[in-house]
Amino acid sequence: MLRLTGNPRERDFLNQIIQESGQNLLECLQCGKCSAGCPIASEAVGGPRQLIAAILIGMKERALKDPTWSYCVSCGTCATRCPVEINMYSVATALCEMAEKAKISPPERGIHLFEELFLKSVRKYGRVQELRTVMEFNLRTLNPFKDLAQGMTLMRKGAISPFDILKGKKKDKAISRLFSKVQQAENGE
Amino acid sequence: MKVSYFPGCSLEVTAKPYNLSTRQVCSSLDIELLEAPDWLCCGSSAGLKMNRLLSLSLAAKNLAQIEKQDLKEVMVPCPFCFRRLLSAQQEIKQDKKSREIIRETIETTLKGDLNIQNLLGFFRNEVGLTAIQSKIKKPLKGFKVIPYYGCYLVKPSQVTHFDNPENPTSMDDILMALGAEVLDWDFKTECCGASLSLTKTEKVQELSGRLLKEAIWKGAEAIVVGCQLCQSNLDMRQGEIWKAEKKNHHLPVLYITQIMGLAFGLSPNDLGLNHHIIDPLPILKEKGLLS
Repeated sequence: MLRLTGNPRERDFLNQIIQESGQNLLECLQCGKCSAGCPIASEAVGGPRQLIAAILIGMKERALKDPTWSYCVSCGTCATRCPVEINMYSVATALCEMAEKAKISPPERGIHLFEELFLKSVRKYGRVQELRTVMEFNLRTLNPFKDLAQGMTLMRKGAISPFDILKGKKKDKAISRLFSKVQQAENGE
Repeated sequence: MKVSYFPGCSLEVTAKPYNLSTRQVCSSLDIELLEAPDWLCCGSSAGLKMNRLLSLSLAAKNLAQIEKQDLKEVMVPCPFCFRRLLSAQQEIKQDKKSREIIRETIETTLKGDLNIQNLLGFFRNEVGLTAIQSKIKKPLKGFKVIPYYGCYLVKPSQVTHFDNPENPTSMDDILMALGAEVLDWDFKTECCGASLSLTKTEKVQELSGRLLKEAIWKGAEAIVVGCQLCQSNLDMRQGEIWKAEKKNHHLPVLYITQIMGLAFGLSPNDLGLNHHIIDPLPILKEKGLLS
C-alpha cells in the first residue's frame, strides 16, 4: 500500500486532514468496506476509499474536487463498518472547510448552495425556515416549480401552511451572537 | 414522568404530524414533555459539513438550554438533532481543547451529564413495553408493517451507542407489543437519500426506490419510521418512483408515534394521519383501526 515516506512536505496535506478531522487516515487498510456500503458511491462519485487514497498520496487538488465529500449525507455507515473506525463525514468537513479557505469552487455546486442557504436561514432566524429555504433554492437554481405538485398536495391536506413561507420570523439575537463568537474563535481572537 | 423535549426545526414546519402524534401519545402515557427553552437549530447536515466549530457550538448551546431545565433526561424525536446533541456532549467531555473553545463560543459552562434519548430508545427502554401495552385499546392485529430505522438513529455506533446498527430491533419490539404483524427485512438501516432530496433528487429516487420495492415485495401494508427525513423522502418521492417503474402502488409511510396512537384508540386527525401524501386512511379503515 502506498504511503508517502519521502519528503515530509509531501505529507503536509495528509497531516492537515488528519489533524482537522481527527481521523487517522494512515491506519486505512484500503479494504473498501466504506465504499461498498456508502449510499452515494457510484461510478461518477468515487466513494470514500478512493478519496482516502487520493489524500494518502497527497493529491490535494483531486481530493478537494472529489464529489464524494460534497455528496456525503453523514449517514455514518462507513464509520460503523470500518475495521479501524475512520469516520468519513468528519473528513468531509475538513475538506469542505479547506476548499472554502482556498476559494476552490465546490465539486457539487447545487448541494453546496443548498447548504449555504440552510445556514443563512439558521443565522437569521435561529431555527431554519425549511420552506423558505426550499423556495429560495428552487428560485436560485432557476427551477421555481420543482415539486410543486407535492407542495400543493401537502398544502391542501393542511400538512404545510403557506403562512410558514410568507410570514418569516423575527430575527434571533442569541444566534447572531453565537455566530459572531464562532467567527472570533476561528480568527483566533 | 417529566422529561425535557427537544423537537427540532422540522417538527415545527414540515413534520407537524410527528410532533402532534408524539405529544398525543406521551399524554396518553402520562408523560409530561417540557419543551427546552429558546432552543436553536442544531446546524443539521449543512452545519456539520460546512463548519465544525459552528456545528459543535450550536449543539452545545442547545445542551446549555436543556440543562437550564434541571431535568436529567431529554427526549429528541429528530434523529439528526439526537445524534448532534449526543456527539457534542461526548466531544466536550472527552476533549479539553473543544471544551475550552466552546465555553468561549456559547459563553457558559456545560455540566455535560444529560441523558439524551432518541424517541425509539425512550419508548422502548425508558417507558417500556409493559406501560405501552397497558394503554392499548385497539391491537394492530393482522396489520403487516415493516420497520424502517434509517441511518441517523443508529449510525455511527461510536456516536449513537443505540441498538444494533445493522439490525436494530427497538421498533420491532414496540410494534410487536402493539399486536402488529412485523415483517423482517435487510434494509432496516439502508439510507433513503436524506438531505439530497432537493439537490440530487434522482439519487433519492434510486435509494428510496430500492426501499419501497423491497417493502412491497415483502408484502408490507405500511412502512413505519422514526425520522421525518425518511418519512418525507419515502412519502413525497413515492409517486415519481412508481411512475418510473410503471407500477401503481400506494404504500403509506407512518411515524411510530402515529401507529402507537392508533393502537391507543386516538383519532386519526389528532395524529396527523390526514397530512401524508400517500393516504393511509383506506388501509387503516380496511384493518378496522379507525374509530
